[in-house]
Amino acid sequence: MKTLEQLTEAVGRGDREAVSSLIESAMMQEIGPKAILDALVAGMDDIGRRFKANEVFVPEVLIAARAMKTAMAKLEPILSEAGIRPAFTAVIGTVEGDLHDIGKNLVAMMWRGANFDVIDLGTNVSAQRFVVAAREHKASIIGLSALLTTTMPAMRQTVQTLREADLNGAKIVIGGAPITQSFADQIGADGFAPDAASAVDKVRQLVGAA
Amino acid sequence: MNQRFQDRLDAGILFCDGGMGTQLMAAGMNLGQCATLFNVERPEVVSDIHRRYAEAGCDLLTVNTFQGSATALAQHGLEGRVEELNEAGARLARQVADDLAKADRPAPLVLADIGPFGGFLEPLGETSRDELTRLFTQQLAAQQRGGADAVIIETMSDATEMDVALRTARALGDWTLIASFAFERGAGGGFHTMMGLDVEAAVQGALESGADVVGANCGSSLSLDDYVTLAERLVAAAGDHPVIIQPNAGTPVLIEDRSVHPATPEQMAALVPRLIDAGVRIIGGCCGTTPEHLRAMSTMKPAV
Repeated sequence: MKTLEQLTEAVGRGDREAVSSLIESAMMQEIGPKAILDALVAGMDDIGRRFKANEVFVPEVLIAARAMKTAMAKLEPILSEAGIRPAFTAVIGTVEGDLHDIGKNLVAMMWRGANFDVIDLGTNVSAQRFVVAAREHKASIIGLSALLTTTMPAMRQTVQTLREADLNGAKIVIGGAPITQSFADQIGADGFAPDAASAVDKVRQLVGAA
Repeated sequence: MNQRFQDRLDAGILFCDGGMGTQLMAAGMNLGQCATLFNVERPEVVSDIHRRYAEAGCDLLTVNTFQGSATALAQHGLEGRVEELNEAGARLARQVADDLAKADRPAPLVLADIGPFGGFLEPLGETSRDELTRLFTQQLAAQQRGGADAVIIETMSDATEMDVALRTARALGDWTLIASFAFERGAGGGFHTMMGLDVEAAVQGALESGADVVGANCGSSLSLDDYVTLAERLVAAAGDHPVIIQPNAGTPVLIEDRSVHPATPEQMAALVPRLIDAGVRIIGGCCGTTPEHLRAMSTMKPAV
C-alpha cells in the first residue's frame, strides 16, 4: 500500500521521475492497473482540492497534470490490456467568437486527471462542431468555455443547438470567468463549475460516479 | 523614471484611458475579429476612440496592441504582420495626441501596450525566455518606431512573463515602464493573480525587474470597493513608486443577450477620490469603461 500512497503524493507535487519509478515498483509488486490508476486520480483530486482552497495555483496544477500525463503514457497500454476504459468521454471547447484557451485547457487537464477521455476541440468552436464531435465520440459530457463576456450569448446559442440535436442525454457543463450559476440556469445548461477542479466534481455528480 | 513622465506626475493625478476592446465592439467589431488588424483596416475607428478618450481628459493613451503579439496574431493567420500592425497602432495614438496638443494642455502621452502572450513559459509550457523576449521585442520596437512615449505591460499574472516584458522594454530605451497585474479575490479574502502571485510579490518582482510604475488593471470578480482595498495594498507595497489602477466598470451582467458592464460614469467617478486617498497616482479604466466614464472620472481631479 505504501507505494500507492507515495504515488498519490508524487502526482500531487508533480514529480515525474518519482511517478515513473513508483509505477514500475507497483507493477513489480503486482499491484493491479486499476489500483494504480486510482492512486494517480487521488493525487489529482488532492491538487484539485488544494487549488479550490487557494493553497496552490495554476502553476502547481500544470505541474501535477504533466506528471499525470507521464504516468498515463506508462499505464495506458496495461489498462487497455485489462479492458479498463476511461470513466467518461467528454468533448470540450471554447465557444464561437472566443479565442481564449487557458481556462478550457485547465479543465481538460483536470478531466484527464480524473481519467475521463477528453476530446479537445480548441477555441472558437461553432455549435455545429460541438454537435458533430459529441455524436462521433458518443460523449456523455460536453464542456463549453468562455472568457469574454461578449461571447456569453454564443454560449446560450450553443446550448440551444446542442439541446435540439439528439445527443443521448449528454450533459452540458459551462464555465469561464464571466459565467455564474444563474447564467447556467438561465440558458439551460446542466451544470456550472466556478473553477477547473470543481468541473471534475460537477461531472462526477451529473453522471453519477461520485 | 523618465523625466518627461516624472514632470507630468509632479503636476498632479494622471488619467489613463479606458477599455479599447469594448469600444471597438461598440463600433462594430465582430466577435473573433482581430482587434489589432483594425489599426490598418479601420484606422479611423481606432483614432476616433483615442480622440474621445483624450477629449474626455485622459493624459495617457494606450496603443491598440494588447493582442498584438505574434502568438495572438497567429490565431488570425496574421503572425507575419506583427511589426506593421504594432507600428501602425502607435502612429494612430501618436497622431491623435499631437493633434490635441494645445498651449494650455500638453499632448497626451502615448503608451506602448503589451498583454500576456497567451501561453506558459518553460518549464510549465513550451515557450522559452528567449522566444518570449523575441516576441515582446518585436512588438515594442515597432510601437517605439510608431512614436510611443512610455510602456504599459498589462493584465499580467505570471512573475516571469512580467520580468521578461520589463527587461525587454528597458533594453529598448529610457522610457517609463508601467507594470500592471490582473488580480482576483482569493478564498481567504486576499488578492492573487491567476498564477498565484500576491500583491506584495507582484510589486516587488516588477520593481526589481525595472518597473517605474506598478499597479493593477482588469481582474475577475472584483467589486468597485475591492479596487480601493487593492489600491491600498499596492501603495503599501510600492514604497516611493507611483501606483496605477484601472478598474473594470463592474462585473458584467447579461441583459437581453448583451453583456453589460453595470457601473455608471457617476459610480466610477465616486471611486476616484477614494483611490486618490489610497495613494494612487494614475487612474484609468479597463473593460466596459468608456470615454463617458473617463470624462466623469477626470472631473474629479483635485485642483493642484
